[in-house]
Amino acid sequence: MKRRGRGIACMWYPIGFTVSANPSAAVVKVNEDGTATLLTGTVETGQGSLTVLGQIAAEALGIATDDVHVVSADTDATPMDTGAIASRTTYVTGNAVKLAAEKAKAILFEVAAPMLGVKPDQLEAKDRQIQVKGYPQRNLPIGTVANHAQVVMGQPAIGSASYNPPTVGMDPETGQGKPFSTYVYATQIAEVDVDDETGEVNVIRIVAAHDCGTAINPMLVEGQVQGGISMGIGFALQEEILFDTNGRQINPNLTNYIMPTSLDMPEIDVDIVDSYDPTGPFGAKGVGEPTSVPTAAAILNAIHNAVGVRITSLPATSEKVLTAIQAKRTQETKRIPA
Amino acid sequence: MDKKTRAAEKSTALETLREADVALRLPAMAPPVAYPIETLVPQARQQTPAVGQRATRPDGRLHGLGQTKYIDDLAFPGMLYAKIKRAGIASARIRSIDTSAAEAMPGVMAVLVGREIPVNSFGPSLQDQPLLADDRVFHAGDGVAAVAAVTEQIAIEALDKIKVDYEPLPAVFDPLEAMKDDAPKVHAPNGNIYATKVIKKGDVEKGFAESDHIFEGQFRTQMVEHVPLEPHAAIADWDPNGRVTIHSSLGRITLGRADIARTLKLPINRIRVVATIVGGNFGGKNEITQEPILALLSKKTGRPVKGVFTRDEEFTSSTTRHPIIMDYKTGVAKNGKILARKVRLVLDGGAYCSWSETTLGKACILSAGPYNIDNLYAEALVVYTNKTMTGAMRGFGAPQVCFAYESHMDDIAAALNIDPLDIRLLNAFDEGSASPTGQVLHSVVVKDSLLKAAERFGWKEAQS
Repeated sequence: MKRRGRGIACMWYPIGFTVSANPSAAVVKVNEDGTATLLTGTVETGQGSLTVLGQIAAEALGIATDDVHVVSADTDATPMDTGAIASRTTYVTGNAVKLAAEKAKAILFEVAAPMLGVKPDQLEAKDRQIQVKGYPQRNLPIGTVANHAQVVMGQPAIGSASYNPPTVGMDPETGQGKPFSTYVYATQIAEVDVDDETGEVNVIRIVAAHDCGTAINPMLVEGQVQGGISMGIGFALQEEILFDTNGRQINPNLTNYIMPTSLDMPEIDVDIVDSYDPTGPFGAKGVGEPTSVPTAAAILNAIHNAVGVRITSLPATSEKVLTAIQAKRTQETKRIPA
Repeated sequence: MDKKTRAAEKSTALETLREADVALRLPAMAPPVAYPIETLVPQARQQTPAVGQRATRPDGRLHGLGQTKYIDDLAFPGMLYAKIKRAGIASARIRSIDTSAAEAMPGVMAVLVGREIPVNSFGPSLQDQPLLADDRVFHAGDGVAAVAAVTEQIAIEALDKIKVDYEPLPAVFDPLEAMKDDAPKVHAPNGNIYATKVIKKGDVEKGFAESDHIFEGQFRTQMVEHVPLEPHAAIADWDPNGRVTIHSSLGRITLGRADIARTLKLPINRIRVVATIVGGNFGGKNEITQEPILALLSKKTGRPVKGVFTRDEEFTSSTTRHPIIMDYKTGVAKNGKILARKVRLVLDGGAYCSWSETTLGKACILSAGPYNIDNLYAEALVVYTNKTMTGAMRGFGAPQVCFAYESHMDDIAAALNIDPLDIRLLNAFDEGSASPTGQVLHSVVVKDSLLKAAERFGWKEAQS
């Protein structure tokens, strides 16, 4: 008989390296027409980070995402970056991109101020214009200013900057310290069906509420959460590298190493928790790794809720779940008084 | 038959052969694909302000059209294909390697063994991993020799011709066994425990003494692979100026370049690392693997050399996720408030350190969960075993400890007859809470996430 259960799990996860410096640098070049080029040493590994970095540069310059072209991942051409690791790209590289874009913007403001008859600190960049704060009617297209800066003033709008999250080393005896600049939080709730005759677990639905600070791109956050959950399901129920007694792997292939496919995916509801981190670029933190952290815990708690057995080792394969159910039944039978 | 007829017949025969040859060959270039050159830019990419927009990815269009160029899609004139021979034995001394038969094969351009590598070791914190094992084999997935040949097939065949004479040595596979004094030492003379971490906060014994209930549990996790769609891949091209360009699926090129420079004993400015779009990383592509091997094969042959891991190599010879044995002991008050917690984590490090120190640290810091616990003692240690090395993988130990602390939390809630949501809300961090390391936390929204998820799920409604 199929028994339904639900399980909850929450988590916290840090952004960036533990104590160690993990800087990122960035270069932002505003072209003569007001579009821009961003140079970053990070690598697009499928998560959409380059799009997010482009959005951060665009936001800082008051232009649109499509106005920014991102050049990445060439050690000859792009600046230093610690790379796509530790859920750090949006936060660390993002901060560097924002600082670099602001430097380029400062040049534009310096050039635009006399053109608009105000001081540079009275200006803002918005909707592809350089305009006077509180009097946006006085404005110039960003392209006009960028062209003037380069062609007339001989001062191209280029900015470069780097960022490293501030940390405090951990005491070797007590571990006390500030190992990370910031953390994200999340909760996932899983609903499962457990067949108590076969031990088979079917994940029906997962509700995921994740904090990433400001969602620079909500669609990509949702994508990360969905992908993370698929990894979490494999970790919870299916995946395991097995070794023979001589230390050789016995299932190093996708026939015998079972992992979730699209057919195993449950219905997923993603919520982005309202949050703003003043230390992140436009309030953003990160989301990459945390998305797969609470999934297994939530599923295992749901199995416990459904059939009353606690599986203490992953993965919770059908065999393991069925054995636990049978052991529980035997124990319950024994308890019946004679 | 006269001379003329014979010549004509010969030319016809040659032509037939040529046609058959062309028909048999796979096309060297993909057939042209027709797709609209004028791109429609979605509105979200054109709107300001840019932050908060559901902007599509420019690489998405390329993926959709099958036009993304991964490393394996790249080819350079004269390019060779490299393959690495794997040990297949978990612990052994290499008595000798005979590569002569492989080198004699037509089409084999070069063979490389470990002793030819200028600095044959690497690793992000401990440099304990050889690029090619030259004296000792530490796990079955270790490479022992590499071949560069004109085709991938010849390179594969050449691997079989390389004869390695092994002297099997004692091995240890279980992390708890490996911790014992009499266990075989994986990296003798060093002990098998190669890194530890401790976090102390408050007085854990006092906290247990004040608790109404004590709960204990042991949890274990397994070894898993990242399984990216694209396996590790790289192409190295050593040019006549002594500069080497490496196209690689590496996720962190700046640090990778420094590691490559160290192994090749080259100034950093003579190395260029170019990454294309990576077909999945998840932590598995955070360190160099075959890049220096390909560079040296390219130096030997004067040709670009490509290497792409097989799926088998992805499993056996690239990093995996740490299995962890996790012991939890928690003291709670009658109302479910956690007063003290003791955690002990034993991480299976496999044959090499890789990112174990980072994983160990993060797992230890996060092991108490997002909860206010005044009295905490968490210790973690990582041990060598003669298995595939464990390293960085999405979450650095967090998915493992989250499984433990959240399973443990539900056991406590069930025993005290408290709703799992309520016990979490009772203990969760608030803005300004002190973390296990004493850090004052900001922008803390763990309770908001609990409430939001519960509301969306209908947690309270489903209860009745």
